Amino acid sequence: MTQPADPPKDLPKDLPKDATHRLEELEHGLFTSDLSVNEFLLVKEAGFHPLGFVMGSSIYHIGLQTRKWGESQELTKLTEAMYTARELAMNRMEEEAEELGADGVVGVRLDVNYYEWGSDSAEFIAFGTAVKAEDGTSYKNALGKPFTSDLSGQDFWTLMQTGHVPQGLVMGTCVYHIAHRKLTQALGSMGQNVELPNFTQALYEARELAMTRMQDEAGQLNASGIVGVRLEEKSHQWGSHTIEFLSIGTAVTKTTGEVTLPKPLTIISLDN
Amino acid sequence: MSQSSAELPEAAVRRFSSGAFSSGLTVPDFAACLQLGLEPVGLVQGFCVMQWGWYGAGSSFMRGSNPYTMGAQSDGAYSESYRCPHGYVSAEHRMWGQNLEQPWVEAAWSAGYGAAYARMLDEATALGAHGVIGVVDRVTPVADSQTSEFHFLGTAVTVEDGPPPAAGVPWTTYLAGQRLTKSIEAGFMPVAVVASMASVRVWAYCITEYQMEGGRGWGNTNQTGEVEQVIRAHMAVRQLARKHVRQKLVGDALHGVQIDVEKRELAQGDEVIDCTIRGNRVRRFKDFDVVPSPRPTVRLS
Amino acid sequence: MSEDVAIDVKAEMLRGAQSLATAPPPNTKRGVTSDLSIDEALLLHSAGWEPVDLVCGVSVASVPFGVWNWGQGEIGVASAAHNAAVQGAAERLKEECAKVHGHGVVGVRIGVEVRNHHIDVDLVGTAVRPVDGGSTPALPFVSDLSARDFTLLKGAGWMPAGLAFGASFVYAPRRSAGAALQQKTQNIELTNFTQAMYAARESAMERMQRSALEVGGHGVVGVKVTEGPMSFARHAVGFTAWGTTVKLVADVHRNIEPQVILPLDDAVVMFAAQNLRGK
Repeated sequence: MTQPADPPKDLPKDLPKDATHRLEELEHGLFTSDLSVNEFLLVKEAGFHPLGFVMGSSIYHIGLQTRKWGESQELTKLTEAMYTARELAMNRMEEEAEELGADGVVGVRLDVNYYEWGSDSAEFIAFGTAVKAEDGTSYKNALGKPFTSDLSGQDFWTLMQTGHVPQGLVMGTCVYHIAHRKLTQALGSMGQNVELPNFTQALYEARELAMTRMQDEAGQLNASGIVGVRLEEKSHQWGSHTIEFLSIGTAVTKTTGEVTLPKPLTIISLDN
Repeated sequence: MSQSSAELPEAAVRRFSSGAFSSGLTVPDFAACLQLGLEPVGLVQGFCVMQWGWYGAGSSFMRGSNPYTMGAQSDGAYSESYRCPHGYVSAEHRMWGQNLEQPWVEAAWSAGYGAAYARMLDEATALGAHGVIGVVDRVTPVADSQTSEFHFLGTAVTVEDGPPPAAGVPWTTYLAGQRLTKSIEAGFMPVAVVASMASVRVWAYCITEYQMEGGRGWGNTNQTGEVEQVIRAHMAVRQLARKHVRQKLVGDALHGVQIDVEKRELAQGDEVIDCTIRGNRVRRFKDFDVVPSPRPTVRLS
Repeated sequence: MSEDVAIDVKAEMLRGAQSLATAPPPNTKRGVTSDLSIDEALLLHSAGWEPVDLVCGVSVASVPFGVWNWGQGEIGVASAAHNAAVQGAAERLKEECAKVHGHGVVGVRIGVEVRNHHIDVDLVGTAVRPVDGGSTPALPFVSDLSARDFTLLKGAGWMPAGLAFGASFVYAPRRSAGAALQQKTQNIELTNFTQAMYAARESAMERMQRSALEVGGHGVVGVKVTEGPMSFARHAVGFTAWGTTVKLVADVHRNIEPQVILPLDDAVVMFAAQNLRGK
């Protein structure tokens, strides 16, 4: 199954004016980053310089969706919503990075916040640090945009040493409703060791959908692989029979054939 | 500094004479301890419940002087006065304010802490220990107000082939295990666990009261401003705590300092601020050789 | 760990215990008080710096009544109060540092309380200076970097320049009842909500950047953005951005060339003093 319908065509092209003002300041030489000191030093070691802390957010209202109590099914409207909301946030973050002339964004984090005054709505935020190669080579991806990755500074350095370059953060999402068992079924299996086929089937299918969508995104970037894949399962505010499966990872391509990672020193530490 | 305690409680005598030791050390700490040539001889503790009177003896209040009158306290304790800039407004308008150090509270705290500490040392001496490591100290307020319980717990140790403790007083430290090993390797010998406390009371005057209660005051419409009186009290209490601790150091260094500040907001902008500083008093016993810069590493797992 | 290492520490422990038996020389020197752990103190020394004293800075800024009542847009007075409180506390911290002849403060622990009528900021850190002296700079630096991060940065040619900070408070925007009903079944972005939160977040970040520029910094590392509603006014949301301002003091950045290691145990590897001596 392919991605849900194309993202809305009216994605905002302009960032809020407060953002442009802040980004201008960054273009004059000051850099900001949410990298720790360790990560900062390793990013420099990899030949990149941080440009600025970039972020994008979107407050999205998730519409109601009717569902059949007794059937396991994907709730496509909710899937679309979760996908679009995250895309909006990520796109704004990428726009900020492009504004700074970045080659990519590292350490991307995606957060979801709920506020009491926003029922059925949530704020989706994407954060990261935009970086640029110091030797002027362009690291933009197949779509001509700065790469995004949720790799930490350490992982980014290690990846570059192996001759691979990040292309983009890829994600696939699927919101699945798990059928409630009929009363007779529930009573019948009470107290026994037994597999619950609808649960198994539902969770299996949902995870597969999420991961396939993620791989499709990687395909669009002409990536040779995905590293650091994480599978997250959250119920957000929908109750325990509706779960969002989010599969997220960094798509990479191989650049050169050599691996420059030096032979590691193996140690056994004897202190605690 | 320390008060002599009554005889050891009977239960302590029984526990000590049993021969086997008990210790509060974890297994790695125990191993490190043996590596240092320290032999645990028993778990020791000291205990004291202290009460200080409300505006106890010696305070300027009890001496009949009004805290609202301007004038430093006669015992040299910190105090600062504030005077209202307005003319007469009303009987409730607070025309005077003062930041007052509360030496009676500090003295009571010191006495309680000292007594509990001394009792722990008594137990250690009864076991023939040279020092006490892994000290844990707790100060807990008890149900009634103005009462606190001081509790010390530690593991008494002897140093292999070591001399009896100087002046008959075992040395003590909060550290144990690897951290104690590193401290010794770096050339620092623990002398004692040291703690001091300072307490300052803020009697707010009109401006402070308005600022702390969100009032707009006179001529102060919709602006923010720093609350000077409260800030000065906070800075003073921290400086005083450090000053008190320094007096106990006699030139030795204090490592691993922990500073705790507790404030209780009372009505009308008044506040009581207590600041406690604890740390390990240490003495350099050998020249310091600087270690070379360590090599940074990146872990692969 | 070899046998000689074990005997070594035993001998040193004995030596230490014996040193207490001899009366200490009269000491009028002002002892060092520091909240650094022994690991951090050793690291600092290896970079040629030493701890001097524990220093504090506090500020309380008042917030007038009625500021939190639901309005529109940014809550300017609250933002100004928070920014003033952090600045005031940092100023006092610097004063204490200068008084003990420190060149800067590391490992600053930051405590912030936003209350209905006042915002309190509490800073504690250790003042440090180079071992071989040197004149006290006019503007001591203040940083929340640990002594370890300070040493690493210094080795690469950078120095901390200050605490970067920016705050911004905003009212949650309102929706009309009609709009709320219309949006109920749709998946739709709530644009004015987005704009309001976005603007406030950017504003906090911008103030943080400006505070970095004010001390002549070249960059900010370790940026942390916090956001959340006020416990006493849930329709008001506060955003703060914190970071450490850094400045390149060497001509160029010095690469650190890390060694890659593969530990074969589960425990977290922290360096041990023995390893530092190259044994």
